[in-house]
Amino acid sequence: MSGGAGPAADRLRRAGAFLRLSRFELKIAAALVLAATLPLAGALVLAGRVAEENLSLGLDPRVVDRLAAVPGLYGDLFQARKQLYAEQARAIARALPADRTRGGRALAAAIGRTPRLRRATWIGADGVTIAEGENPAPSPEGEWRAAPARVALPDGGRLECLFEIEARFFAELDEARELGELVQGVDALRAEIRRSYVRAFGALLVAMALAAATIGIFLARRTTRRVSDLVHAVKRLAGGDLAVQVDPGRASDEVAGLARAFNAMVREVRESRDRIVYLEKISGWQEVARRLAHEIKNPLTPMKLAFQQLDARWRKSGARDADPAFGRILAEAGEIVDDEIGTLQRLVDEFSSFAKLPEVRPEPADLGEFVDDFLRTSPDVAAAADVEVVKASPDTPVALDRALMRRVLANLCANAVEATRPGRARICLGVARTRDRAVLTVADEGPGIERAARERIFDPYYTTKKTGTGLGLAIVKKIVLQHGGEIQVGDRPGGGASFSLVLPLRVDG
Amino acid sequence: MTLRRTGRAALAALALAAGPAPAAEPAPLAVQLSSRGGRLTATVDLATAFPPSLEHEVANGLTNYVAVYVAVLPIRGGRPALLYGRVVEILYDVWEENYAVTVKDPHVPQGVRLVLPDFAALRRFLSEERDLDLGPVALLPAGGFVVEARVEVNPLSSEQLQRTREFIANPSGGARGTGGSRSVLGAMASFLLREPDPGSDVVLLRSRLLGPGEVAAR
Repeated sequence: MSGGAGPAADRLRRAGAFLRLSRFELKIAAALVLAATLPLAGALVLAGRVAEENLSLGLDPRVVDRLAAVPGLYGDLFQARKQLYAEQARAIARALPADRTRGGRALAAAIGRTPRLRRATWIGADGVTIAEGENPAPSPEGEWRAAPARVALPDGGRLECLFEIEARFFAELDEARELGELVQGVDALRAEIRRSYVRAFGALLVAMALAAATIGIFLARRTTRRVSDLVHAVKRLAGGDLAVQVDPGRASDEVAGLARAFNAMVREVRESRDRIVYLEKISGWQEVARRLAHEIKNPLTPMKLAFQQLDARWRKSGARDADPAFGRILAEAGEIVDDEIGTLQRLVDEFSSFAKLPEVRPEPADLGEFVDDFLRTSPDVAAAADVEVVKASPDTPVALDRALMRRVLANLCANAVEATRPGRARICLGVARTRDRAVLTVADEGPGIERAARERIFDPYYTTKKTGTGLGLAIVKKIVLQHGGEIQVGDRPGGGASFSLVLPLRVDG
Repeated sequence: MTLRRTGRAALAALALAAGPAPAAEPAPLAVQLSSRGGRLTATVDLATAFPPSLEHEVANGLTNYVAVYVAVLPIRGGRPALLYGRVVEILYDVWEENYAVTVKDPHVPQGVRLVLPDFAALRRFLSEERDLDLGPVALLPAGGFVVEARVEVNPLSSEQLQRTREFIANPSGGARGTGGSRSVLGAMASFLLREPDPGSDVVLLRSRLLGPGEVAAR
């Protein structure tokens, strides 16, 4: 494959994935298209009827016929005017004087009394103009066109008259003709116009359906993609992936609520599983501790007694004075044996204590008050460290086993004191609550705990101290878990370690 | 009506061959064929298509249209071998009381204008179609053929169709051209408006069976 094909194929795949529609998306889009177009489909039939009825109203045959007849009416008007002008011209001709010298005055008088007569010319049989007259005044009708009328005279001459006719008639005629032709055209196309309206409405309907589908897919995708993510996450959860989470987004709808609930559920399942796994592991280690304690404890007393007998015999022996060097060696060996047996005894005690952790018996308590009680009744803590108590909430009702929780707090405080040595420890005990949890924080100003060590710090027998057994924090965690809570380790702002004990708030009733 | 391209006449002639035929049997067509300079010309008598009663229709003061298509059809059938089409615009001038006629054909798409004094002259002009240029005489079918003429009185013109489209798209101002609002529906309906089928004012005339030997040389 060439180098350029990869990104192109990727883009193609991404585009394909983007355009691929899930059945859920298709269903939502189809529902939206149906909802948008179903009423319009009915309207399509209605549109055909409305177009038909509108055309019937506008194109009443009587209207079409009357409009088409308008130019003919103007023709009749023109005909009447022509006849009138011809008659008026004949009347003027009849009134012409026998004395040609008076012709001019006669024509002027005729122009004065004959409406719309603009000019009159009396021409003799020889073609020579005998007299003429003209009305120089503008027409009261405005623009006009010339309408000639000619009358043959008995002497062979003729009278030529020029009448005016209103120019607006011709403009109106043109307009009427245009309108008549338009209406005739529309009438001829009536069926086709109705069909074109239906087709246009249908095309708009298709466009609206497409728009509705596009919007529907867009809207559906915003929801269905989140549902698809949820389905995918559920499948991963079913496959055992307890780290799966879905992004609820910024919406506050049911799907976002479902995503948040799913995340919470997965978190709780994961915590429960971790708790169970840890407790099972601790149980195993407790059994080991019990056996070790038993196996180690049993030979310790005979060993100690045997050495004590040896020492007593030596003290009574006569060789004691003869060999003082051996006496010194024996004395040193006795001290070593005592020390080591003491160490083993303490180890056995720790193991026994770890193996015999009692069951938690929780009782109603307030976490803040419990902390106060702990400090009041633990003078060694106050003696070894400066302790500050910060309560962010006035009441933090919880259910706890006071004795075991004291052990937890004592252990954490002891660790804090030890971590700060040789300096004096400063311990901050914080009490706060969230919506459904109470939080107790134990923070010190020591060197803190390395990030790599945090994952194993609660494992039994894991210790970073030279003299530790590695059981203290394991016991702490077991007690916390048995309270239905959890413990987390982190950094204290400003340096030092911080342990957070999260306990469920007590729900009364 | 504008005939901008020869193709339009060809289409019209095709419509002549393939379009819906009038219900009645074609009327007989008197035709004289001649060849001049390699072109076949026809003189046809279309008097039967223009009865005297047509005066009432064409003298109404509105623009009337007469479309004439003449085609040579092989006797064995098929598409026209030769064809010609023209459109005559007739406007009776109610003031001058004469007929202003404009003849448009593929050779003179802008039209030739003339004025005829009365309906008799107009009828003569329409009926006697002289020396119509049908095309190269070489395309004349070797066997027998007939000459058909199709006369449409007041078919819907492209101008009328365009005016109607504008009217639908802009009904408030379409008639006067004063503008106005254009609706989307109206604009789409105007775009989708199609030319209707020819109406019933179609007269078809057909000659007797002719042969190439009946073409007179000039």
